[in-house]
Amino acid sequence: MRLVYVLFILFCPSIFTLSNGAEAIIVVANTQDKSIQLNRQQVRNLFMGGALPYDLSAVALPPENQTRVLFNTKVVGLTESRIQSYWAQMRFTGRKKAPKEIESEQLVLEYLKNNQGTIGYLPAGITLPKELTVVYQIH
Amino acid sequence: MNHRILHVNLACCLILLGWATTLHANSQDKLQFSGFARVVMGYLDDENAEYVGYDNSLSFDQQSLLGLQADYTFNETLSVTGQLVGHTGAQRSSGLEWLYLTYKPSNALQIKMGKQRIPFFNYSDSLDVGFAYPWLTLPQQFYDTAFFSTFEGVLANYEFTANDWIINYEGYWGRYDDKFYLSSGEIDAQVSGLFGVNANVGYKDWTFRASYNQGNTDIELAEVTQLSGLLRSIGFTDSADWLNPSGRIQFYQLSANYENLNYFVRSEIAKMVGETGIVPDIDSFYISAGYNFYPYTVYISYSKRDISYDHLDNEIPFGVSTELDFLASAYNSVLASFPDDNTNGTKIGIRWDWQPNVALKGEMTLVKAGDSISNDFALKDLGNFDGSAILYQLGLEWVF
Repeated sequence: MRLVYVLFILFCPSIFTLSNGAEAIIVVANTQDKSIQLNRQQVRNLFMGGALPYDLSAVALPPENQTRVLFNTKVVGLTESRIQSYWAQMRFTGRKKAPKEIESEQLVLEYLKNNQGTIGYLPAGITLPKELTVVYQIH
Repeated sequence: MNHRILHVNLACCLILLGWATTLHANSQDKLQFSGFARVVMGYLDDENAEYVGYDNSLSFDQQSLLGLQADYTFNETLSVTGQLVGHTGAQRSSGLEWLYLTYKPSNALQIKMGKQRIPFFNYSDSLDVGFAYPWLTLPQQFYDTAFFSTFEGVLANYEFTANDWIINYEGYWGRYDDKFYLSSGEIDAQVSGLFGVNANVGYKDWTFRASYNQGNTDIELAEVTQLSGLLRSIGFTDSADWLNPSGRIQFYQLSANYENLNYFVRSEIAKMVGETGIVPDIDSFYISAGYNFYPYTVYISYSKRDISYDHLDNEIPFGVSTELDFLASAYNSVLASFPDDNTNGTKIGIRWDWQPNVALKGEMTLVKAGDSISNDFALKDLGNFDGSAILYQLGLEWVF
């Protein structure tokens, strides 16, 4: 077990550098209906390409991004490698396509602001423009 | 021959890729190219057997492959997808694996028309995309049971959520007109009235799947058909019927998977029922468990398969005439070429996700067989095989 932790620390420094700072994640949508609130399962479904009563299109951050690592760990509950292999299976069987990837948190914010019906995850504490609504939050 | 086909395919793919990059710039996101490749090395520690094509020498050309996919989006609801796969292994034919039109009128409903992979089991439609599953070689005792993998027809898929449940229904209907690829050789075959339904249910960290599939097969086995005709003309209709290779095949499947950040358990159980004598009944299952310590995954797996034929007692009397004796012994020798077969496989392995799109795997599989071995499947007795062998494999999986 100790070996596992050592390996974890060696290969996953991003989690540890973040652990002192803000770890909370917010899921933000650009939607006319400001009352929408999602639970963890709904957010997970949405970002794994599942159907949802709301017609929202998800955007994600790139694999190495720390906010994405936190989102995978806390919300999706799968490692990055499992998420990548899931999307490979979905893509090459013509079932679903992975969310569009956007380079950084600032650009996600920008994209969400300019595109109605989109949803993305961001670190809590980021200043949100009035077009965007927090639909889910996890500490 | 297969190598030559692969080279031609590779050349085509490279030309396509080159063409893609120039075209891509013009048509923005309308046309998208992607692909997958695997390089798998294997060595079997037994010179009297062959397993998944591997023998007692180091080989790269059994499971290594290259697949290329092109998606063209006409508009929000309509797109077309093509997938070419070049195989190195002799048990698979290279060429167009998928070519279908997708109509997606809403987020929930998707209808595909054209040539597609048959979704018998969890990974039946992604067998070639090694990156998509943890094992290096899928549990063979389970995945080696479907003799054909594609169909031409229509497939519809409907997904919805109910509270925290995510439910996906799928149904397809079509036909298959090609060959059955057995380890012992290829047989011309047609499957008509092929259809299936399946339900996939996800709840929290669990997913469950159940499927039913059936088709009417028409297999061309000249010698068997000839013998069957001869028996019928003399009046041995039961024996003649038993040898008739054409009839219904049914597949049933159940699956339960659990997965969280740290570990996973995956399992499937299936039953194949062959209506005619020379198409067997097959019972198979596997269970695998794995532990994730990113970027590594270690796993163990056990799979088992029982193949059984409803062998008919010989109704041809011995000692009446030399012709009948000859016929009886011919019938017996045909019967003997369809032996019941029990095999199991135990494997341990490791997957290292080196890059977000590149994984390396190492795997060791101990395969064990019962007294008789049907050489139609992954395990082949080359003579004097003691029923136990270990396959060592290393592989690289890449998606792009």
